[in-house]
Amino acid sequence: MALCDAEKTFVLHGVQDNFRIDGRELDDYRPMELETDVVSHAFGSARLRLANTDVLVAVKIELDVPFPESPQNGKIEFFVDCSANATPEFEGRGGEDLAIAISNTLTTAYSSSLAFDSRKLCLLNGKKCWKLYVDILILECGGNLFDAVSIAVKAALWNTRIPFVKNVNIDGNNIDLDVSDDLCLCERLDIENAPVMVTVCKIGDKCIVDPNAAEEHCSMGSVVVAVSGTKISTIYQTGTGSLHPATLTESLQLGFRVAIRLNEALSKVLSRIRPDEEAGFLK
Amino acid sequence: MSDGYKTLHPVKYYREFLSQGIRPDGREFNTFRPILLNVGSINTADGSAIAKVGNTTVVCGIKAELCKPKPDAPDCGFVVPNLELPPLCSAKFRPGPPSDQAQVLTQLIAEIITNSNCIDLRDLCIVRDKLAWCLFVDFVCLDFDGAVVDAAVVSLLGALKTVKLPLVEYDPALESTQVFLEEKKPIKLHSMPVSTTFAVFEDKIILKDPTLEEETLCSGVFTIVLKDDELCCVHKPGGSPLAPEELVKCIDESKLRTPLISSLIATTLKS
Amino acid sequence: MPVDHKRINGPEDTVPYSLYTKTNKQSLTEQYEEIRKTGQRTDSRAFSEHRKIFVRTGAVSQAKGSAYIELDNTKVIVSVFDPREIPNRPDYSLKGELYCEFKFAPFSCHKRRLHVQDAEEKQHSAIMKRALESTVCLHEFPNFQVDVYATVLENDGSCLSAAITAAGLALAHAGVPMYDIITSVTMGIQRDTFFVDPTVTEQNICLYPRPSESDTEHGIVVLSKLHTHDQVSQFYQFGNVSLDKLNESISILDETCRELVPIVQKYLVKHVVKNLQRNT
Repeated sequence: MALCDAEKTFVLHGVQDNFRIDGRELDDYRPMELETDVVSHAFGSARLRLANTDVLVAVKIELDVPFPESPQNGKIEFFVDCSANATPEFEGRGGEDLAIAISNTLTTAYSSSLAFDSRKLCLLNGKKCWKLYVDILILECGGNLFDAVSIAVKAALWNTRIPFVKNVNIDGNNIDLDVSDDLCLCERLDIENAPVMVTVCKIGDKCIVDPNAAEEHCSMGSVVVAVSGTKISTIYQTGTGSLHPATLTESLQLGFRVAIRLNEALSKVLSRIRPDEEAGFLK
Repeated sequence: MSDGYKTLHPVKYYREFLSQGIRPDGREFNTFRPILLNVGSINTADGSAIAKVGNTTVVCGIKAELCKPKPDAPDCGFVVPNLELPPLCSAKFRPGPPSDQAQVLTQLIAEIITNSNCIDLRDLCIVRDKLAWCLFVDFVCLDFDGAVVDAAVVSLLGALKTVKLPLVEYDPALESTQVFLEEKKPIKLHSMPVSTTFAVFEDKIILKDPTLEEETLCSGVFTIVLKDDELCCVHKPGGSPLAPEELVKCIDESKLRTPLISSLIATTLKS
Repeated sequence: MPVDHKRINGPEDTVPYSLYTKTNKQSLTEQYEEIRKTGQRTDSRAFSEHRKIFVRTGAVSQAKGSAYIELDNTKVIVSVFDPREIPNRPDYSLKGELYCEFKFAPFSCHKRRLHVQDAEEKQHSAIMKRALESTVCLHEFPNFQVDVYATVLENDGSCLSAAITAAGLALAHAGVPMYDIITSVTMGIQRDTFFVDPTVTEQNICLYPRPSESDTEHGIVVLSKLHTHDQVSQFYQFGNVSLDKLNESISILDETCRELVPIVQKYLVKHVVKNLQRNT
């Protein structure tokens, strides 16, 4: 997206007067559409549409061996794929850096056991555990990817069904797992504290949340705040440009406040979807 | 003034210097650059050394891990050398997989280690067919200014001298391993390889211990590795042809380096 | 995993011997409890005290600029090269670019590192780039990129901030136009303890929540500052920390970053004086 100076000034003045180009206030979010269980072959999935940003997340589960240095923990891995169709900038290898940044931020945000307890994914201490592959596909980029991805990931993990292990047979070094083939018999993940990310974008001397592509273009840099429960689990700065310490504190505060609000809204929505809902006559 | 002349006509510049019997850095044709060695400075490695030959700097770090011996050599451990020429050390290198030169040098060092028998792989075996040491010998070049192999071999010796391996007990019945960190033993060094690099300028003049500049301007570079006055290996990747007598002369000259390096290692280890 | 044909590969399935040592060593939780009880860090520093810094410029003769930094056992070397045209870029860009690569030497950590850059190293490279970009006058070399390479020779904590501080120094040494001196400090947080410039053990203490009834906060914070303009060029945190603690840590780190500036300045002045003497 290319903006001329006049357009940039227009965006900037709007932000200054707490009236952004799409009519929102500084800390307003755009409407979101969330759909879960969209990929039938995945163990859990979600699709989020935030204005023009479109993200699809699918969770795949495999059996694995825990790392020798953390024998009691399962594994979770994030992979972000920026589709070349999402925005012209992603053509070729353009989206690679952003994809790495998003997946690394997710990894660090989920690394604390207070945010996501991977011990529950461990089946046999040091021998067997579940490994969650969280695949994130960015279908369209309309700004604010970090937030959209984090919400979609949280919803997909909420939707994830972990197969139920009925029986474990240990015979010397051979471990035989008896996994239930009943689809309804499954375990759910505890995602209450799974982090929600909010990107706080600095335009002029004001901070805004949920920037659209035009606003992202006008900003020198932004701070991504990942909040898990009432604590901050990761902070990551993107873009060039630096901030005064006071501005940094201010944007952290804004991000924290909005993230808590967003998390509440998300939990409310998720609680409305009944799990294991038997719908349709083929199920 | 001389700087400009040097950049414009580097070969001419060198030719004029060399016709006077001296090199631009003030050395004679057969003088070495000073060698510095520092051992045991990296605490996370099981053995380490930093060697400087003039500006050329190589860090060698050894990490020991446990593994199962190969079925076709049940009483042997492993030594896995790798030399890295990261983009940090010279503008010649780019990030990414190892350059051709790094691969060649890695192979050369692996050959030096096997040919000189400086480590007996059987010393690294703990329990036959069950458990053995694997020494990962990693070289990182920090400053690439010619004769990297020479610096790498000196740092290898320094690092090997400082390696201390803990005592390992293996219970075959339970297949369990226990490591005692309190009892550490050095490994035995069976020989001392010493390498010397030469460069041939315009098919005639042989320069000992060349800098990077000399290496790039010269028509051929070759390395002679000696093991206690015996020839261990010679690496001459093409370049200008060399008369056999010249080579013999070079071998004799590189013999002079062995006592220097052994005394250097001895004094470094003492202090 | 595909075999790397360009390196010598060791046998598969090697394990570090430290896994089989007797666990008579104190667990991290116990170590933390002891530090809390005695109020003393293992190296008898105050909690807000930075380790002694040793810096040197010009460590790599082949590079345009270079710096070597030591924080006790943490050793990092950084080199900077002449600007070159941005590779594989068809269109002209008005601003120059920085390319940063952060790498751990294979023997630098407790566990052996692989030669190929892993996710952590890529993340660190991105943070380094982020921190340095705001201090370099990128408009001075349009369509060119400056390469900055950092290698950690030994990691005893705070290696990312050591690399950033050293990179700032190396850029200045290389004569790259800059707005300001950059310094960076790491902090570890565990419950109510703030470890400024943590060692690797202290970092590990802060990596996971230690079992406790309430108030489980932990994390690592890295802050880089531009001194004269009083700007935060980069801020990075992970773990689980409340907003109040975070604000407190920002002010402590801010102060510590300021303390490092005279050391960096001293070395730059030394370098300039040396150059002047050589030219006259």
